[in-house]
Amino acid sequence: MSAAALTLRFFQRELRNRFAGSFSGGLWALIQPLIQLAVYAFVFVHVFKARVPGADAPGYVPFLVVALWPWTAFSEALVRSATAIQENAALIGKVALPREVLVFASVASSFAVHLSGFVAILLVLMVAGQGIAPAGLLPAVLLYIPLFALTLGLALIFSSVQVFVRDLAQALTQLLMLLMFAAPIFYDRTLVPENLRGWLDLNPFSFYADTFRVVLLQHGDFDVTRFAIALATAAIVLLIGHRIFRRLDPHFEDFL
Amino acid sequence: MNAPLIEARGLGKAYPKVHRSADRLRALARLLFNAGGGERVSVLQDVNLDVARGESLGLVGENGAGKSTLLKLITGVLTPSSGSVRVNGTIGALLELGAGFHPEYSGRDNIAMAAALYGLRGDELRDRLPEIIAFADIGDYIDEPVKHYSSGMVVRLGFAVIASLKPDLLVTDEVLTVGDESFQKKCVRWIEEYLDNGGTLILVSHSMYHVQKLCRHACWLRGGRIEQYGDVFDVTQAYLAYHERKSTPVPERAEIVRAGYEFSVLGVELNGIDTEQPLMLEFGQTLQVGVRIRSREGRPPCLAVGIVRADGTPVYGVTSDMDGSAPRRVGADEYHAQIEFGDLALLPGSYAVRVHPLDTEGVRLFDTVERGIVVRGASREFGLVRLPHRWADAGDTGGA
Repeated sequence: MSAAALTLRFFQRELRNRFAGSFSGGLWALIQPLIQLAVYAFVFVHVFKARVPGADAPGYVPFLVVALWPWTAFSEALVRSATAIQENAALIGKVALPREVLVFASVASSFAVHLSGFVAILLVLMVAGQGIAPAGLLPAVLLYIPLFALTLGLALIFSSVQVFVRDLAQALTQLLMLLMFAAPIFYDRTLVPENLRGWLDLNPFSFYADTFRVVLLQHGDFDVTRFAIALATAAIVLLIGHRIFRRLDPHFEDFL
Repeated sequence: MNAPLIEARGLGKAYPKVHRSADRLRALARLLFNAGGGERVSVLQDVNLDVARGESLGLVGENGAGKSTLLKLITGVLTPSSGSVRVNGTIGALLELGAGFHPEYSGRDNIAMAAALYGLRGDELRDRLPEIIAFADIGDYIDEPVKHYSSGMVVRLGFAVIASLKPDLLVTDEVLTVGDESFQKKCVRWIEEYLDNGGTLILVSHSMYHVQKLCRHACWLRGGRIEQYGDVFDVTQAYLAYHERKSTPVPERAEIVRAGYEFSVLGVELNGIDTEQPLMLEFGQTLQVGVRIRSREGRPPCLAVGIVRADGTPVYGVTSDMDGSAPRRVGADEYHAQIEFGDLALLPGSYAVRVHPLDTEGVRLFDTVERGIVVRGASREFGLVRLPHRWADAGDTGGA
């Protein structure tokens, strides 16, 4: 079976599923995070008077954007893909296919949508002179690769366990809310009290929030050790996710 | 060529019993940590099946006998709980109506997805797309969402995809009968051509006519096991006979009159054999029924001999006095009668011979003894017996 062709089909279908029947089509993928950003910018900049600490610190809006967009890709991919197997129960019960493809296509479509949105908004900010480093664009896109691997690994776990434990998807939404605030997305890690800062690193997304800022805003220093740990984490999570998925895969039909 | 296309060894499938959500959690833990146990419902057990290339196999059985489960195991949709199944080739499956089609997408999109599911690359699909659309022959509907299709159109689309793939193995069920007359003919023609070109077919059907028309062998599944496997006519006839017996409420013993019979049957021989086992006959063979009758008072009896189908439908009955014959006296209180049915016109299937002694006047009936017979043969005629017939103005087709 040509798995590549199949993956491509499911990926296209996922993308079209998102926009089929919606009035603004693909534009919605861009509009939604923009509205979100406008709301956050208003609340944080004009209500809370949020400032990024440091002398040559970037403005709050670009500071937020470079961490929030990857987070949206990460969290949305997880929420959507958690039910990828369950939603395709009709297909799984009738056609033999490698089921990983369904999870992969779901995660990939979230990433595709939000990565292109990310690039678009970075270009906008760059033109607006918000201190985005053009040289950081390529490394930033490359940084999506380990993030994708991490997300896919988690998605394989969640989507297969979801078949057995149906409450997982609901719990996941809550968990992600918690993780969002437990990562330095809305705030800088230097604002966190010293004794609590170590806890931040237990959140797998913290590294990405910090590093996107290093790459795109030259805010903070690049930490090679954390980079290595993040790469290893992504690889291990993907490996474990794949193994759990393989183990549960033959039994999906019995429980769907 | 020598390795069978499908090899199933000790194949079985059992579903876990899950009633409460806690059961699901427990099942998950068991699967993750590799522990066995848990309550299971078995739907298929110990199936051994070889299907050679070029074979055409009909799968028959009651609802819930495990036919669909077996097909799903063969096509790889299900994973066996025990045993193994191996398919050495590509499979095209046309199982349930619109399986794998997404109702929101157009026919064209669904063809693309179905082709990808069967492992076709993009360029291969582009080459075959016109051919598929032509075969489906649903006109402008090809660009409409599948949810607006009639069920016949869905089947047309599904079959068109399979037909273009020319898989090594074609697995299909009754869905074909959803199509209209002309499309059905097209499908049957296609399948026949496919079989002539060395294709392999597994057909699930409740229509013995279709099974007999398209298949050489048949497999009868009953309660998750193979009840019978063999020549298509033998298996389908046995299966139909089983249904006929099942639909008979109670054995018709009501005719048995009076204990301490004045006349009773001592023994029945079919073609010279006295056994409780059903007698196997070829279509058109001769059937002899020999009966020994005890007459308590030594009075000469009459004898009634009848043939009924397995479900009790009478086929033919006659008594000795109707024909002006009488049982021959062979002892003080024993009589013997023999009747011969030459060129037995019974169509292949299961029947029973019933004999009853009657009193001397041929009025009152005593005792009933029944012996089964099975007529074997390859015939697709309908009904119970072959009536002598001749087609007028028949062209010469090489037959008699």
